[in-house]
Amino acid sequence: MRRSLLLVVAGLVMLVLGFIYYALDPSTSDAFPRCSFLSLTGYKCPGCGGQRAVHALLNGDVAGAFRFNALLMIAVPWMGLCLFAESRRTRNPRLYARLNPELLMSLFLALTLSWWLLRNIFDW
Amino acid sequence: MQYWINHNGVQSGPVDIDGLKDLALTSRAYVWHEGMTDWVKITEVPELQGLYEVVADDAEVETPPIPPVEPVAQEPQPEAAVPEEAVVGTPYRSAEPQGEAAIQQPQQAVWPQDGSAAAPVQPAAKCPPTNLAWAIFSTICCCLPAGVVSIIYAVKVTNKFNAGDIEGAERASEISAWWCIASFVLGIISLPFGYLLPLLGAE
Repeated sequence: MRRSLLLVVAGLVMLVLGFIYYALDPSTSDAFPRCSFLSLTGYKCPGCGGQRAVHALLNGDVAGAFRFNALLMIAVPWMGLCLFAESRRTRNPRLYARLNPELLMSLFLALTLSWWLLRNIFDW
Repeated sequence: MQYWINHNGVQSGPVDIDGLKDLALTSRAYVWHEGMTDWVKITEVPELQGLYEVVADDAEVETPPIPPVEPVAQEPQPEAAVPEEAVVGTPYRSAEPQGEAAIQQPQQAVWPQDGSAAAPVQPAAKCPPTNLAWAIFSTICCCLPAGVVSIIYAVKVTNKFNAGDIEGAERASEISAWWCIASFVLGIISLPFGYLLPLLGAE
């Protein structure tokens, strides 16, 4: 009961946020926060471009979404899969175990850190 | 045919089909019998239709079924090496009242001892949650340094669990969750700066 309420609230928040990110373009609108790390240091963080990527994706521009933040486009489906596996863990423990091996998790960590470095070098 | 029942988190059995009728089961019950690979809902067992009361089904996530304990004499099978988990943290036997050896005795006698039957093999312990999805989210969307620490500890959960260090895995799981929360909080704190800093820079 508490769990389904939580899911409904989370779903509504996602819907509202989704509409905002669909309707307004973070590239031109002042309604969205800028990355503090970028403002302070002049370097991009791994999440920079994420809001523009979500806007592009919601408007059907997959290539644009990858251009703004490729890491996020890889991470979002994976996170969704992980959360799904987590919620079905009792019924399907095998899926959860497959998604959580040490190697895969370490690889993602390495991917995030190299993405951070490389995007500042090559201006991705 | 002998059936094992998990009803609202309480396990019972083995009983035969006549014994089932006395248990006042509802549609929330899970059933296991020899030859099954996992628990199934009683509503999905054809020969048990009509033997339970149909009730609202909200118990699926709240009280997951506990698997039967593996036979004592059974050889560990390959699946046991995979870091999967028993469905609920405590093994079935520890849920039994303490010191009731007499109750466990018939259970072991009934259970197949030759290992040929497809009794569900469950590792003794459950791998604590790695919090990986949230750790990734917090790394990319909230506060990077804290999120990275959270991912590192998520990796440690699996690492320690595979090494047999259950306690260490649980500790790592908790630390991972706390760093994840720290990342969320730091992300929210830094949100106003996301609006303020560009204004200052524009001057």
